[in-house]
Amino acid sequence: MTRDRYVFLGLVLLFAAVNGVLLANGVLAADWEGLGVIVAAGLTLALYSFLYKDNPLFKVAENIFVGVATAYIFSQNWYQTIYGEVFVRLSALGGEDSASGDWWLLAPTVLGLLMLTRFSRRFGWLSRFSFAFFVGLGAGLTIPRTISSFILAQIEPMLQPLSWSVEGFNLLVILVGVVAVLVYFFFSVEHTGVVGKVSRVGIWFLMISFGASFGYTIMARLSLLIGRVTFLLDDWLGIM
Amino acid sequence: MIQWLMNIDRRIIFVFVFLGVALPLLANVFLPIRPTRDVIAVYDQLEKVAQDEGVVLLSFSYGASTEPEMQPMARAILRHCFSRNIKVVAVCLWPEAPGLAQQVLEEIGDEFGKTYGVDYAFLGFKPGNFAVVLNMGQDFRDAFPQDNWGTPLEDLALMRDVRTLRDFDFVFDLAAGDSIEFWWIPYGQEKYGFPFAGGCTAVMAPDLFPFLQSGQMVGLLGGLAGAAEYETLVGRQDKATAGMSAQSMAHLIIVIFIIFGNMAFFLSRRR
Amino acid sequence: MIFLSRTLPVIVALCFGVLGIGIYYVPHAAAQNIERELALWLRIVFAFSYLLGLYSLLNLHWQRIRQRVEGWGYSAMVYAGFGLMMLFVIYNDGQGPFAPQAEGTAAENGYQWLFEYVQVACSSTMFSILAFFIASAAYRTFRARTPEAALLLVAAIVVMLGRVPIGAYISDYVPAAADWLLNVPNLAAKRGILLGVSLGAIATSLRIIFGIERSYLGGGDE
Repeated sequence: MTRDRYVFLGLVLLFAAVNGVLLANGVLAADWEGLGVIVAAGLTLALYSFLYKDNPLFKVAENIFVGVATAYIFSQNWYQTIYGEVFVRLSALGGEDSASGDWWLLAPTVLGLLMLTRFSRRFGWLSRFSFAFFVGLGAGLTIPRTISSFILAQIEPMLQPLSWSVEGFNLLVILVGVVAVLVYFFFSVEHTGVVGKVSRVGIWFLMISFGASFGYTIMARLSLLIGRVTFLLDDWLGIM
Repeated sequence: MIQWLMNIDRRIIFVFVFLGVALPLLANVFLPIRPTRDVIAVYDQLEKVAQDEGVVLLSFSYGASTEPEMQPMARAILRHCFSRNIKVVAVCLWPEAPGLAQQVLEEIGDEFGKTYGVDYAFLGFKPGNFAVVLNMGQDFRDAFPQDNWGTPLEDLALMRDVRTLRDFDFVFDLAAGDSIEFWWIPYGQEKYGFPFAGGCTAVMAPDLFPFLQSGQMVGLLGGLAGAAEYETLVGRQDKATAGMSAQSMAHLIIVIFIIFGNMAFFLSRRR
Repeated sequence: MIFLSRTLPVIVALCFGVLGIGIYYVPHAAAQNIERELALWLRIVFAFSYLLGLYSLLNLHWQRIRQRVEGWGYSAMVYAGFGLMMLFVIYNDGQGPFAPQAEGTAAENGYQWLFEYVQVACSSTMFSILAFFIASAAYRTFRARTPEAALLLVAAIVVMLGRVPIGAYISDYVPAAADWLLNVPNLAAKRGILLGVSLGAIATSLRIIFGIERSYLGGGDE
């Protein structure tokens, strides 16, 4: 047996021993919930073993997760839409419970089924109608709302009267910043002379923004780590 | 020595990070938290809804991967709503959200003795991203004809007067993706003008500040820190507040690492 | 055949694209009804699109098992997890798959149990691993080589300390500085990016509607 296999076996035995102690002391209940906590803790530690090095335990946990997650997402689509809306309403067509508008459901159902022909070499071209509908309508719906919510609604608060106050100063900085960033991203003109200087100011604003995003990203990842460590220390080991 | 420090085995850094998180949690230290302006704005808006005896739509747009950040936020918001007898309608726009939403609704609902169908309702998940928001805006019952377990909306007392998004006094989206920026604001808030706020993962929070200034969002809870601030306002310290000491320590460690790394870099350049 | 397989879908995209723009500006009830109906259609087509992803994933792992590539056992684990969860989906607390989803908590229901103790645990753990790597990367590579990089570094440090309680312990100016950084220069940059992205999105959408951009149709012989 190699050293890694000894370490692996040792860790598994240690995990089993710890759980035995926790069950014996009543920290974990001997029911489905207790078993769930043990399974969750085991999977958590198996995934964290990747920090030492890539290993089969990590890969097993990762792949089981992929399978379970895929089935869960499918089930939500099934219960809420494919069964809940399409199947139920289409199977009642023509009956007492059906509404006149339900016949229109055939159209998106056909489009949805056509989408699945994507994997067929012979009939794959039929799926283009579904994608054309989806992408075309999505593009059409996007344009007016983008103009309204992202362009007009964002420009308006910048064009406020300036004043000799902190508020006024901040507004000026925002106005200068937005213009400078837009100039930086305008690559049709060479960034030399005045354009180059304004573009430089834009870079400074972008760097501050990226720094803020980096700080918040660290915060986000650490929060997730705190959540898992809390689970291990509190829900599993009961020492918090 | 400097070269060794610059090329240190990363597993040593991992150990420092783990200890920086675990030790404050074990020490059970609670640091005082000062709520920020954007979090207070959300609190004030919900207080206003409570005075008007209104209904709130809570949208769950996150999955299991961001559960440690978002669930404490959901709990804090629900505690506020239920403590003020605000009625809550919950929907999910992410496929992984229903299990998490159901968990937190039942937990906090039981804590306050709330009755399903009268005080709160859970309508489940619908695929379609922005199309669901569009559908809800036109006809809420078209988007969600039944609750998560197949009960028609007409049979739920609190849903009887709800027809469109305009019938909600406040909409709050708990988001781990771009649902606030690219679904709710352009397809919902822009057309129907309801008071809207969001809670998001810390990764996305800096992107949403333009919407706060433009008034398209009333307030924002950013990450676990936002959840902790809200817990402080609600007066019930829970997992988010407990996590802030670990968050502070871990941040300090990383800042020290960054400063240390740069000092070593500049010293080695001088040589 | 070219007309049916390539030209007609582009015409479909054009028609629905123009319709999507038009119904926004027409307040008539008929337009609003069309918008409502189309939103429902979008939702249903979206639900079917998940099946594409499902097939893709299962097929990928099936090929790995069938061809016995290295590590095919892990693909079998994917099927094991999928099969176990699907068992509970189909069982649906005794009601079968052709009934509304059964109620129940993790203690009562295998479906919720697998979600809470397998999916939630694994999913949040996978993302939390990034915390370690981000710390390691910050130490090893985050260098103030240029004034711009130094600016990024300083902003990151101010925000990291200012947004957690320890910032206020160091100095009252730290949270105030973080607040100002986020609400002024960060806001300006993000707004600039948002405006640029929006203009790009409008341009791309118009290209799709007018058939200049056809990559969504995919390749193929026809």
